Amino acid sequence: MSQSLAPECNEVKERYDTCFLKWYSEKYLRGVGTTDNNECASLFKEYSKCLQGALKERGIDKLLDEAREDNKENDATLMGRKKCKYGPSQPAHQRDSMHPFSILTLGIFVAGYITARWDLVTRLHELAIFAWNYGVVTRATKGFAVLSLVFFLIFLPVERLATREGNLHDGLMRVFWPADLPRSELRGVVVGWRNSALDVFVLAILEEVEPRNVEFALKIGTLLRNAPHPVSRIYELCGQSAIHVLGLSNTPDSIEADPSWIRATVGPGRRVPAVTCPRASSIQTILFERPHPGRMQYISLNPIALALGDKHDGFRQEVPDGFEDADEKEDRKKKQQKRQLVEKLKQHSIFKRVPSAKEKALAKIVNQINWAWELEKLLQKNVSRIGTRPKRSLSVSERVVESATTARDMMLVWMWDMFTIYVWPIIKRLFVLGLMAHRIAAEVLLRILEWRAQPGYAALKDISATAQQVEIRLQQFCYWPMQYVTLRLRKKDWESVTTSHPDYIRFYNSLWLVANDVIIGIALGSYIIDNAGWVAEQISQLLTQYTVDALQSSISWLMGWPAGLKLNNELGAFLGDLFLWVIDYWSSCIETLRPMLPHIIWFIGFSSFAGASMPIALFSDLLSILTVHIYSFYIASARIYHWQLNILISLFHLFRGKKHNVLRNRIDSCDYDLDQLLVGTILFTLLFFLLPTVMVFYLNFAIARMVIITLKAVFDTMLSCLNHFPLFALMLRVKDPGRLPGGIRFELRDTQDFRHSVNDPSNQVPSTSVIYMKSIPLNFKAMFHQYFQMGHRIRKHYLSPRVLLCLLTGKFVPPLNRKNLYSLQYSMLPARRAGVMDMWTAVNSLPEPKRRMQPVVVPVLANGKKIPSSFGGGRTRAYG
Amino acid sequence: MLTTAPHLYIRRPSPTTAEFTVTTCPPPSLPLRLLQLTLLLLRLITISLALLALHARFGHDLPLSTASLPPFLANLLQPILSSAPATLLTRLAAQDATPDWLVAGTALGAVYGALAFRPHTTESVLVLRGLGIQTSTTSGGGGWGVQTRFIPTEKIRDVLINEAFRGFGVRYYLVVVVEGEEDVVVLFPGLLPRRRIVEAVWRGVRGCLWEGGEEGKG
Repeated sequence: MSQSLAPECNEVKERYDTCFLKWYSEKYLRGVGTTDNNECASLFKEYSKCLQGALKERGIDKLLDEAREDNKENDATLMGRKKCKYGPSQPAHQRDSMHPFSILTLGIFVAGYITARWDLVTRLHELAIFAWNYGVVTRATKGFAVLSLVFFLIFLPVERLATREGNLHDGLMRVFWPADLPRSELRGVVVGWRNSALDVFVLAILEEVEPRNVEFALKIGTLLRNAPHPVSRIYELCGQSAIHVLGLSNTPDSIEADPSWIRATVGPGRRVPAVTCPRASSIQTILFERPHPGRMQYISLNPIALALGDKHDGFRQEVPDGFEDADEKEDRKKKQQKRQLVEKLKQHSIFKRVPSAKEKALAKIVNQINWAWELEKLLQKNVSRIGTRPKRSLSVSERVVESATTARDMMLVWMWDMFTIYVWPIIKRLFVLGLMAHRIAAEVLLRILEWRAQPGYAALKDISATAQQVEIRLQQFCYWPMQYVTLRLRKKDWESVTTSHPDYIRFYNSLWLVANDVIIGIALGSYIIDNAGWVAEQISQLLTQYTVDALQSSISWLMGWPAGLKLNNELGAFLGDLFLWVIDYWSSCIETLRPMLPHIIWFIGFSSFAGASMPIALFSDLLSILTVHIYSFYIASARIYHWQLNILISLFHLFRGKKHNVLRNRIDSCDYDLDQLLVGTILFTLLFFLLPTVMVFYLNFAIARMVIITLKAVFDTMLSCLNHFPLFALMLRVKDPGRLPGGIRFELRDTQDFRHSVNDPSNQVPSTSVIYMKSIPLNFKAMFHQYFQMGHRIRKHYLSPRVLLCLLTGKFVPPLNRKNLYSLQYSMLPARRAGVMDMWTAVNSLPEPKRRMQPVVVPVLANGKKIPSSFGGGRTRAYG
Repeated sequence: MLTTAPHLYIRRPSPTTAEFTVTTCPPPSLPLRLLQLTLLLLRLITISLALLALHARFGHDLPLSTASLPPFLANLLQPILSSAPATLLTRLAAQDATPDWLVAGTALGAVYGALAFRPHTTESVLVLRGLGIQTSTTSGGGGWGVQTRFIPTEKIRDVLINEAFRGFGVRYYLVVVVEGEEDVVVLFPGLLPRRRIVEAVWRGVRGCLWEGGEEGKG
C-alpha cells in the first residue's frame, strides 16, 4: 500500500484500504451484495477529512481549486462528448436485455397467426410454386440485374461528374444584389435568376410568405400575373427560362433549406446584406443601383452610340481622286501592318481558355440589371396572391373620396370618348395626308439634288453648300416619321427594353436642333430683312475692297520692285497686265450685279426662316461664286509655275548629263550633244532667272485662295454645329447621367463593417468581398467624338507636309471632298432613306390611341386587398 | 517630400478578389500630414485671393463690408482684407490697364488649379474572378475624377509582362491582350513601376483572375 500524502493520515488510509480490498475481492468480484457497498464509506469519509485538513495546512487546496476551474471547460466538453458517445448505446443495451422475451412473444404471435389463417399460407405457397414454374423469379432477378447495371453504368458516373462539376467552380459564389432593395427585418424569400449553380441574381425579397408557396407560384406563373406586356419577352431578354427561389432572408438557421439556397440577413441598419450559402466557400456580393426604366435609365457594357453606325466608310471610297488615294493607301498600309502584329500576338498565346459559364453570363446580367426594377415591381404587386399580409380596409371618408373621384373619372372618360370617336380620326387622317404630300415633294427634290449626269460626276449637293443643307433637312423630314413610329412602338413593349433609347435621343436631338435652328434663323432673318439695304451695302463694299481693290493694289505692287526684290520687269508687267485686265472685266460684272444685291440679300434673309443654317450655307455659296476669279487666277498661276518648275528640273538633269527615264521612272545618265547642252543651258539660265517673278504672282494667289478656303471651313463648321451639335445629349448628361451609359465600373468596398456586425464567432462567415457596381456616364470626349474625327480629317488634309510640298511645287491643292468632310452631318441619318410606300405603311401601322378604361369597380375583399377584376386573367380569388 | 517612388498596396478581401494599387503617395506619417495641411491652406488662400481679385474687378455694386457678417467672421476677415498683399492685389485687379478677360481668366485658372491640383498619381487594377479586370487612374497634376476601364474576362486573351526601351533604360510593363482589339491595354501606364512590383502584380492577377490560376500558367 502506498503512503498517504500526509503522514498523519497514514493510519486512517491503511484502515480504509484494507476494508476496500476486502470488499472488492470477497464481495464485488463474486457478484454478491453489489447494492450495499456502504461498509467502507465511513472509513473513506474519515480519511478524506484528514487529508483535507492536511492539504489546507500546506495551502495546496487553493492550487487544486484553480486547476479545477481551468479544467472545467475541458471536462465539460469531454464529459459531453462522452455522454453523446455513450448516450445511444444505453438503450441498445436495454433492448438486448429484453431480447429473449420479445422473440418469444413474436414467435407465439406468428405461430398463432399461421394456425389461424392456414389457408392464406397455403395460398401463398401455391403462388410461390406457380411463380417459380412460370419463371417469375428468374425474370425478376434479370430485371434487378439490369437495373443495377444501369445504376452502376449511368447513374453513378453521372453523379460523380456532377460532384466533379460542383467542385470545379472553386466554391466562389457570386450574388448580384440591388442596393436599393427595400430593407426590412421581416422574414422573406429571396427570388431571382439563377445564372449558374453559384451565380445568382437577386430580383426581389418577398416578405412573409412560405418558400414552398413561392416556388409553386413561380412555376405556374402566378407571380407574373397581370403583366402589362408578354412575359415571354422577359425570359427571352434575360436569357433564363424561369425565375427561381434563391434563398431565405432574415430566417433563423433552424429552419432547414435547400443547400443551394442562400441565407441573407438584411435590415434597415445594414447597408450591405450578409449572405451565406452552405455550398460556397467564398462570396462576391455585387451591389448595384437599379436603373429606373421609367426614366429611361439603363446600363450597358459599351458606350451608347449617339451616331447611327459607321456606315459612311462605304461612301468615301466611292469617289477616289489622286490626292485622297495617297492618303487612303497610307492608311491601308498602316492598318495592314497592325493586323499582322495582331496576328502575331494571337500566335503568342499558346492555349485558349474556355470561358466559364459565369464569365459568359455578363452580357445577360447587364440585361437582368436593366430589368430588375420593373420585375421587382411586378413581383411585389403579385405577392398578395400567395401570402396574406394584413391590411386595413378603407374608412368611410376614404370611400366617399373614392366615389367622388370615380364620378369625376366617368365624366372625363365620356369627354375623351367623344373626342376620340368624332374629332381625332379626322385630324389624324388630314395630318397623314399632309405628311405624305410633303414626303412626295421631298422625294422629287431629293432626286434632283442627287442627280448625276454620269456615275462618276459630282451631283448638285456635292458642289453647293446650300444644296447639301436642303438635302439634309429633307432627309431629316423623311426620317422623322419613321423614327416616331419606332418610338411609338416602344410603348407596346416593356419599359426595360433598352434598344430604342439611342433612337429616342437621336430623334429629340434632331428635333431640338431644328427648332433651335429655326428660332435663331427667325431672329437673323428678321434682322437681315429689316436692314437689307445696309447689309447689301456692306457686302458690296467688302467685295470691292478685298476681291478687287486689294487684288489690284497687290498686283501693281508686284509689278514694281516688291520689298526691294528685283524681278524681271517685262515678265512682271506682262503677267500683271493680264491679271489686271481680267480683274477689270470682273469688277464691271460686279458693278452690274450691285443693284441686284439688296434683292439677293432679302432673299437670303427670307430663306433664314427655314433655319439659320440656310443663310449660312447661302453665304458660303455666294462667297465661292463671287471669288471665282481668284480661284481661276490661282489655277492659272499655279499651272504656269508648275510647268516652269518641271522644265527647270529636267533642264537641270540635262545640265548634269542625266535624264529622267519615264519607262523605268528613274534618273539615267545620258550623253548629250554639244548643241543640245548649249541650248539647254541657255534655256535653264533664262527660266531660272524668270522663276522668282512667276513665283511671287503664284504665291499671291495661293495665299488668297487659302484664305477663302479657311473662310469656307469656318462657315461649314458653323453649319455642322447647327446641324449636329449633341445638345439633347448634353442636356441629359447634366440632368440625368443614368440615361447616357458609357460602360460600367466596379468599386471594392471594405468588408470590415460587415465582419464586425456579425458577432457570433461560431457562425463561420465565408470570405466575402463586397463590390459596388456603378454605371459610368458617357464622357464628353465620346459625345464630341464626331467633331474630333472631323477636326482630325481636316488637319490631315490641309496641315500635312504634303500639302506644303504641293503649295511649294505649284501642284493643285484640291479641297477636301464635301461628302468626306461632312459625314458628320449625315451621321444622324440612315444610309438609305425609306421609300414613300414604306412610310405610308409605317404611318398606317401606328396603334390606335388607347381608349381610357372605364373606371374599374373594385371589390373590397374581406382583408382589405383590392383585386381589380377586369384586368387580365379574370381570376379574382387570392391564393393564400 | 509629398511623393515617393511608386509602391504597391494589395487589398484582398477574399481569394477571388484583389485590388493592386500602385501609388506615389508615401505612407502616412506626421510630416506628410503637415504638408497636406499646408497644401490645403495654400489652396484656400489661392481661391480666396482669386475671388478677391474678381470682386475688386467686377463687383463694384456689392461693397465688401464686414458689418453684415457675424462678428467672429468679421474679426477673422478684417485683418486679412486689410493686409498688404490683399490691398496690392485689389489695386492690381482694379487697374483699368489690365483687360477684363485677363483678370477673369487668371482668377478662374487659379481657382481651377487650386481645386484640381493633386500631388499624387495613383493607378490601380481591380481583379474580380468571373467578371474581369478594371483599371483605374487618378493622375497627378490637374484633373478631375477617376478614369476607369473595365475589361470582361471573356474578352481577356492573356495577361503578360512585356519589355520596352524607354530612353536608355528597359522598362517592364504589364499588358492585357484584349480579344478583338487592335491595341493592347497597358496596366499602370503612367507610373510604369519597377519589375519587382510588376511581377508581383502579374502573379496576383494570374492567381486571382482564372480558376486554378497558378497551375494553368503555362
